[in-house]
Amino acid sequence: MMLIAGTVPIGDMPLTFGKASSEGDSLVVEGQRIPCTQGTGAMVSAALATTEYLKLEAPQVLLAGDVGQGRGSREIYEYLVENVAELEPEVLALHYWLPDMALTRRLCAAIEKCARRPVLIADAASMYSAKAAGVAEAFDIFTPDAAEMAFLADPDATHPAYVRFMLFNNMERMPELIESAYEHKNAARLLLVKGAVDYIVRDGEVLATVTEPDVPVMEAIGGTGDTITGMVSAFVYAGLEPHEAAIIAARANRMAGRVAEVTPATRVRRVIDHFPAVFTKYLCEWSGVCTTGGVE
Amino acid sequence: MAFLKHKKESFNGGGLVLFDVVQPAMQAEKVLKKADYKVRLVAPPPELRKGCDLAVEINLVEQPGIERLLRQNGVDYVEVRPLKVDTSEILEIVRVVDFGDWVMVKAANMKLTFEKESGKIVNTSGGGCPDIPVMHAELLEKRVSEAPRPGDLGYTLCSLMLDRALEESLSLWEGGERP
Repeated sequence: MMLIAGTVPIGDMPLTFGKASSEGDSLVVEGQRIPCTQGTGAMVSAALATTEYLKLEAPQVLLAGDVGQGRGSREIYEYLVENVAELEPEVLALHYWLPDMALTRRLCAAIEKCARRPVLIADAASMYSAKAAGVAEAFDIFTPDAAEMAFLADPDATHPAYVRFMLFNNMERMPELIESAYEHKNAARLLLVKGAVDYIVRDGEVLATVTEPDVPVMEAIGGTGDTITGMVSAFVYAGLEPHEAAIIAARANRMAGRVAEVTPATRVRRVIDHFPAVFTKYLCEWSGVCTTGGVE
Repeated sequence: MAFLKHKKESFNGGGLVLFDVVQPAMQAEKVLKKADYKVRLVAPPPELRKGCDLAVEINLVEQPGIERLLRQNGVDYVEVRPLKVDTSEILEIVRVVDFGDWVMVKAANMKLTFEKESGKIVNTSGGGCPDIPVMHAELLEKRVSEAPRPGDLGYTLCSLMLDRALEESLSLWEGGERP
């Protein structure tokens, strides 16, 4: 099972666990309709588009409504702490929530008790809380953007709003930021740094960079970082090595942006709509896996 | 017979609300706990003392919502600071990216993009806190001069950074960032 956990911007939505499906532009989980917009909605939609193409089981999702006050976030943490050992996900991807350091540590302790440890992925505020709680090394994959990389590199920052190294041309200083993040144990085993240049880094070593196609306006479109994380999660679930999953996800996201002819006003759903066509055309070439029935 | 001891859940939120005197510190704790914020009264480290030896530890990410609630309840505090003394000041710098018909303004991890001709917000991106998708929905299609302020609606530092981006966008728009 691939399990994705995160908050959605529906204040009164209760904690909901179930299989994701799509209906028009929305996600549907246990009868609840969730908009495919920036955040967990975009991430789950991207993961779902990928699993559908690969003919894999759809992602299981654990969602709760939260508009910023933390109630839904705490319900997600508590549910995972109580149930993760029994659920035994193969991939556990954590996304939007209100960072809580103590609960993050409890969750990591609970994951350590799993008979089979899941591949642990964090993006957005679940990555912030992992770093701030000092448990980044327990994670397999982080997917920061350049600003978030500056946050991971700063040993004293607990949020990207308070960082020492913030330069908006962080891409030029990326090797230095990567080194600092690993030196202070604030990085996951694998980093996919999203930006003008996507860096794929394992244990401090840059394994690959992705620069093409170059679609700079993607940065303006809310959710296009979330879609990368969703694809990475699905490709790892399909059996690819984390660094392979990261490289393919970075390429596919860029290519979908190009094919969709995005502008800064494009919605992320339109980018996701192009994933199947991009996979059909390029996945064999990029991954070396050329069956249409899924990754072998 | 030994008393059963409940293990108290640890809390380290990374932020401190500082006060000049003790009374508002206690009032702040009461107000924040009533609103379901996880907080605790602590002694601030010497280098952060403002004259009062009580501070309220908060989850720093929740700084904007907490400051708004304290102001609404008339609680007189001095400032909010990160607990780690070496932490940098909150980011003030923004960067502007010209995309032709559109302008993107970046503040820390948050970005807001508006159309030059109409001033309409066409996208927001970045961040990762739960209020950000709410802000996304609230801001899209509104002109920068009419959009609600994330600083008024949001609860987290991500929304505060988005507010900075909107403020700069407004300044650009009013200053003539249009064709």
